[in-house]
Amino acid sequence: MAQEYRALRRVAALGLVVNLSLLLGGCPSPWTRPEPQRSAPAIPAQPAPAPPSAPAPAPPRPQAPPRENHLSPATRSLVTQAHTLLAHGDIDGASATLDRALRIEPSNPLLWIELGRVRLVDGNAHQAEVCARKALALASGDPAAQGQAGKVLSDALRAQGRNQEAAQVESRPYMH
Amino acid sequence: MLAAVAALWITHLDRVVTREFQGRLWSIPARVYAAPLELYVGAPVSANDLEQELRGLHYRRGDPAAGPGIYQRVGNAFDIQSRRVRFIDELRSPERVSIHADNAAVTGMRLASGEDLPVFRLDPPVIGSVFPIHGEDRLVVAPADVPPLLRSGIKLIEDRRFDEHHGVDFYGVLRASWANLRAGRVVQGGSTLTQQLVKNYFLSDEQTFGRKATEAVMAMRIEAHYSKEDILVAYLNEVYLGQDGARAIHGFGLGSQYYFAKPLGELEPAELALLIGLVKGPSLYDPRKHPDRALARRNLVLKELAEAHLIDAQTAKRALASPLGLRPPGGTYVPAYIDLVRRHLKRDYAEADLAAAGLAVYTSLDLHAQAAAERALTQNLQRLDARAHVRTEHLEGAVIVVEPNSGDVVAVVGGRDVDASGFNRALDARRPIGSLVKPAVYLTALESGRYTAASLIEDAPIELKLADGSVWAPQNFERQVYGQVPLARALAESMNLATVRLGLDLGLPKVAATLQELGLESAPALNPSLLLGTVEMSPLEVVQVYTTLADGGFRTRLRAVRAVLDEQGRPLKSFKVQVEAVAPPAAVYELDRMLMLVPTHGTARDAAAHLPHGLVIAGKTGTSSDTRDSWFAGFTGSYLSVVWVGYDDSRETGLTGAAGALPVWADTMASLKPLSFDPVAPETVEERWIGFNDGLETTATCSADAVEIAVPKDTQLPGNPKCVSTPKPSVGDKVKEWLKSIVH
Repeated sequence: MAQEYRALRRVAALGLVVNLSLLLGGCPSPWTRPEPQRSAPAIPAQPAPAPPSAPAPAPPRPQAPPRENHLSPATRSLVTQAHTLLAHGDIDGASATLDRALRIEPSNPLLWIELGRVRLVDGNAHQAEVCARKALALASGDPAAQGQAGKVLSDALRAQGRNQEAAQVESRPYMH
Repeated sequence: MLAAVAALWITHLDRVVTREFQGRLWSIPARVYAAPLELYVGAPVSANDLEQELRGLHYRRGDPAAGPGIYQRVGNAFDIQSRRVRFIDELRSPERVSIHADNAAVTGMRLASGEDLPVFRLDPPVIGSVFPIHGEDRLVVAPADVPPLLRSGIKLIEDRRFDEHHGVDFYGVLRASWANLRAGRVVQGGSTLTQQLVKNYFLSDEQTFGRKATEAVMAMRIEAHYSKEDILVAYLNEVYLGQDGARAIHGFGLGSQYYFAKPLGELEPAELALLIGLVKGPSLYDPRKHPDRALARRNLVLKELAEAHLIDAQTAKRALASPLGLRPPGGTYVPAYIDLVRRHLKRDYAEADLAAAGLAVYTSLDLHAQAAAERALTQNLQRLDARAHVRTEHLEGAVIVVEPNSGDVVAVVGGRDVDASGFNRALDARRPIGSLVKPAVYLTALESGRYTAASLIEDAPIELKLADGSVWAPQNFERQVYGQVPLARALAESMNLATVRLGLDLGLPKVAATLQELGLESAPALNPSLLLGTVEMSPLEVVQVYTTLADGGFRTRLRAVRAVLDEQGRPLKSFKVQVEAVAPPAAVYELDRMLMLVPTHGTARDAAAHLPHGLVIAGKTGTSSDTRDSWFAGFTGSYLSVVWVGYDDSRETGLTGAAGALPVWADTMASLKPLSFDPVAPETVEERWIGFNDGLETTATCSADAVEIAVPKDTQLPGNPKCVSTPKPSVGDKVKEWLKSIVH
């Protein structure tokens, strides 16, 4: 019985991995994609000093250029390992390997997205939701990562029967 | 009739013996591991760090082709053959790897095959063994870890006929009695190892016939049930070897750490002989108090070992000539951390699962962080004690370091005597937190939407009539009054009057709710003094609250135990990292920007002198009333740490949070090579510049006191007319103002 259940979970895990690759369609997943060129450093330009005698209008606040998160070689290899473990139905192993990656890059939203997916496979939709929310917070300014995090979030919400909230997430601009 | 009573008595003793021993001795202890060092290009591990780490793991220099556990270093290049290691998520076979590191970080890694190696971890260091279900301070030794010389030596000295007798050595008793009779005093004991074990477990020290008889029967019952090997190992883990203040040193594992600061397996014959000799009289032969006596006793044991050919003549000669070799306790014995491990095992795992033999407990302890925190605390407390030369009492302290994103606890220091396993202040000292409570007040304000970091509040005297009729009139620490100040400054300078007014405006229940949201477990009493931190918390509880602030409003359950594997390497079922979203990320971000002003413009300005140049930190000082408690809680991009300094009896210390706890915090953090705190701004907020004193919008360079804060996007801030032009008020606003002027 337990074995059967495990086998089922493995099938589910495989299904998810396949689904993910389908979902990502033409665009390769972030961990196989060649390292993107880092765009110009996201340091906002310093407002020019205003001469004290002549008050200048409030300087236009610089719009932060879109950011692009990516995985380092170390964390990318760990994510690949986690996928292999997950494909073999080893959810605990996949989770521990992602924990390991998160210790190296704790604020990388792509890793929280991965962890959210593993939690979904594990049947823990609530924790998947929190991981996705954390990924969204960290992905601020990175529409690609936001889109992926949003997908995990809406899946996690639907898994909890919160379809209305899921639909709201799906209507956010970065989801298109 | 007499026979029946005797039979009943023996059956009773039999039951007592087996019940006690089953759970206690014949389970193989769980091995406890610290976190493995993770290596990847850019990891902050210098070549010297790496070599030190390898030596700590008992890798030896040599030709790595010869076998696992050997490394070679040429300049900054390492060639290593790793051992077969079990990790939480894999069993790794030995691998040949080459690693390059400069004097700051790892610069390159590949496999011997030439393949690129993106990430590689060293063996997790063993930090001890525990019986997970009965929480005792033991460094338990597993049968395989008992050195052969100890095994044969202890029998030689304490119980020569151990392998033959059935619990009581009648011949030995006769021999001892005869010797004692001839000497006219007690010169020999006839107790077997089994009897000594029984005495340690069940009986008092009184020398009566009844007790002796009970002891003998129990010893024989044990021998009937269990093997000689089991009994010997139990004995080695139980025997009393000395006293460290209030703490009894039981077992050779702990004895080895206590006297020589190294694991039992690494003791030299002379050191083993000293421990074996101690069994006869731990206080009589106490090597720290009576070195001459201890040396004579050790040498006697060495001579007997040589006579019995347990050591050769050459070894004996060298050992006899060697000094006692005592070392201050230290090394990798971390009782305060193990204490937390035990509690988390109990919290996260089923007791039945923990009773299994041969478990491996993988913890998040970072030995470097632990050493750094211990060093920072002891050095600073010594310095602070010297300042208060009239006092006889020593200051105490506690430090906890965690990784806020994972909730991993990486270091716990429970007091200045870091090797003592007594009162663990980091977990159990509940003290008033003083101004550490203030961020909860300000977060409540930001969450309400009625305040921003630039909003002005009144720092002015206030008197409150309390429920019991008394009047509460708080004051600022410097006994000054500051008038209108922006929130950012009131928090950075930890103004009491402004904070009380703000908190009362928000409502005590709201502030208390925020504290609980952040991680405080029990509801605090709703007195106005809550706003100034009369609520008592342990350093661990403070860590939980601040972790939520450091992690963007996500509350992560703290954990010392990452996983427990059974003998086959399968993980025990546990609660996984539990993360909850408890506070709006935007408000937490705005608060964090304010906490970043504490070290640059507020009460923690002294931190900079201890920290690497340019390191961005956020944090808060705390001082309880009459300086009884000195606190600092703060975080960088990598770690969060909370430090408490005070006296155990709550006397005044004369130390603010900045003077007592902050230097400990900063020295700890500086050793950890952390990244700057650099939170990701939510899309709904933006950074703006205001005058620290007047709260008016300015530019980075226009006002001397310009500070950067975060506010919700498009917030209208009144501008400093010399620096920015405030957008013209709309007609509607003008009408409102005109109406106001008429009404007033």
